[in-house]
Amino acid sequence: MLELIGLSRRFGDVVALDDVSFNVPEGELVGFVGRNGSGKTTTMRITLGVLDAHAGEVRWRGEPADAGARRRFGYMPEERGLYPRMRVHEQLVYLARLHGVDHAEAGRRATELFETLEVDAKPTDRVESLSLGNQQRVQLAAALVHEPVLLVLDEPFSGLDPTGVDVLAGVLARQAKERGVPVVFSSHQLELVERLCDRVVLIERGHVLAQGPIDELRASRMQNLLRIEVAGADERWFDVLPGVQLERALARGVVLELTDGADTQRVLDLARQQGEVLHFSKVQPTLSELFREVVQA
Amino acid sequence: MNRGIWRLVARRDFWVRIRERSFVISTLINLAVISTIIMIRAVGGGGDGEASYRIGVVSDGGDEDRIAALADVVPGVRARVLSFSGEDAARAAVAAGHVDGALIDQSLVVDEVAPAQLVQLAQLAVAAEQQDVILDRYQVTSQDRDVLRSGPRLKVESLQPGDPNRSQNEAIAFVGMILLYGQLFGYGVWVASGVLEEKSSRVVEILLAAMRARQLMAGKIVGIGLLGLAQLVFIGGFAIALALVTGAIDLPGSAASIALLDVGYFVLAFAFYASLFAVAGALVSRMEELQNVLVPVNLVIIVSFFISISALSNPDSPLVRVASILPTSSALAMPVRIVVGVALWWEVALSVVLSIASTLLLIPLAGRAYAGAVLRTGGRVKLREAWRAHA
Repeated sequence: MLELIGLSRRFGDVVALDDVSFNVPEGELVGFVGRNGSGKTTTMRITLGVLDAHAGEVRWRGEPADAGARRRFGYMPEERGLYPRMRVHEQLVYLARLHGVDHAEAGRRATELFETLEVDAKPTDRVESLSLGNQQRVQLAAALVHEPVLLVLDEPFSGLDPTGVDVLAGVLARQAKERGVPVVFSSHQLELVERLCDRVVLIERGHVLAQGPIDELRASRMQNLLRIEVAGADERWFDVLPGVQLERALARGVVLELTDGADTQRVLDLARQQGEVLHFSKVQPTLSELFREVVQA
Repeated sequence: MNRGIWRLVARRDFWVRIRERSFVISTLINLAVISTIIMIRAVGGGGDGEASYRIGVVSDGGDEDRIAALADVVPGVRARVLSFSGEDAARAAVAAGHVDGALIDQSLVVDEVAPAQLVQLAQLAVAAEQQDVILDRYQVTSQDRDVLRSGPRLKVESLQPGDPNRSQNEAIAFVGMILLYGQLFGYGVWVASGVLEEKSSRVVEILLAAMRARQLMAGKIVGIGLLGLAQLVFIGGFAIALALVTGAIDLPGSAASIALLDVGYFVLAFAFYASLFAVAGALVSRMEELQNVLVPVNLVIIVSFFISISALSNPDSPLVRVASILPTSSALAMPVRIVVGVALWWEVALSVVLSIASTLLLIPLAGRAYAGAVLRTGGRVKLREAWRAHA
């Protein structure tokens, strides 16, 4: 498990991180969500040791993460980068060796990743001659080539086409579920985070505002909302029920908020009397809604 | 645990660059320039400072024998005599440059200006002809004549005997200095652009996730420095071999020791300058900006180079003495002073100690500035910002 404990960091007078703490457990995908400049990249850089924290600690498997432990982490920075004129295979071998893999093993893994990630290039091609999509795959291969024990990825999905998104999502899920690797990645694509991740950490202006399993976060914020669509009903058909208020009107149907122990089944009964019920469901807040709510609070 | 990681960096920088076209081209250019200098010297006739002249004479005038006999009487002159069938042929040979001068009827015919030693030789030859006439009159035996001609030689005693090999050693030191200047400059810029390449391609962030900034900087400097050293040794070895084969120099021992001196000072100077070049490369984000940040470093090297050139003619001037001790310029100025024999032992020792000490002092400072600057993409980073960023 990766534990970030009380990380703080300033840049000059600007406080980039203030007491950031969260965990990434083994085998889980953690989404790291926040607006631009909220401190995601700084947190990740500190995790990898690229940047030093002014306070706080990064712990790995219960021990302070030292250079030896960090050498086995895998990292994909937000600013993608490889040596443009170095040959692809040679480059992957070099990066694997920097992470402590011996030469023969590094070569074998580089070749293997070429196949599993379906990189459409010759091993001797220079990186700059590859298409953007292939460069992205090689970038991913660079993060995976030393079979990291932890994966930290900064905006890994940005700039990928839908197929690329699926390939990457599959790879990350396999790393977490099959190899038990803790995976943390940042993303602005909240639907994607919602779909892939077990947990989410929400950061704003250097503070962690919310964190935990997505379902729990939802439940904690769940209001008693119903979305109902009834064919041919009056506009305010629900007004007769006590404790039921209009939360918002939709293009088709309404979202109602139930308070003071108003009964869901009585609402349904009334709706059925009004006409044909086309839709009736409890409304769960999406991650985007949660995000907006938390950030605005 | 990963303390030796800089070696991987050094190995990559060495092997990637040795295959680059720019490396091959720079090696070839160096070889071409050095070969040209050596060939010019070889054709210009030996390295021992002895003048050699080709003198034309009209055959059966007797001058032939006289000049040949006199040639070794004039110190430092070697003469080759070429006979021509007549006066016109001899004059034509002078005009065409086949001979340096022709002795015709007691006059020396030259194309433009007569070298003093040639005049001296011709004067002796003409005088000998006169003497022969008189000696014939008194029927002096040929034995007595020989005594007269090759008899007691003038000895030259110098109060401050100079090194007879000085001019040749100076020439070797000069070539060595030019090579060293080129290596320092070229490989320094390679360090800077190598750092910039990693920064602008953003690969540096992946690298820094595997090692500390200081390890990356050290590896790069060592890798590129070793390549520069290998090239220097290769070119130096080639130059000495070519010079010996063509006869441009005839002192293999001193050439080799001058080469070793240059190699040693290259290591010292490169270690000193390379971390400055690395910081310069880390301060900018684009190739176009690199030239600007390099100006101060380049300026120091160029000034050192010109001071060192003046060391050839004036190796003991105060400026040259100071320059040969300071770590910024000792690599260029000191070998020349050592070669011409004016460097005092404590000056040499001091230059080495200062060079090592200042390098050891500079590396952590440069390492911090480098670490503070290398992740800041965008515009140009000010040195002060880079310094503070790491705190």
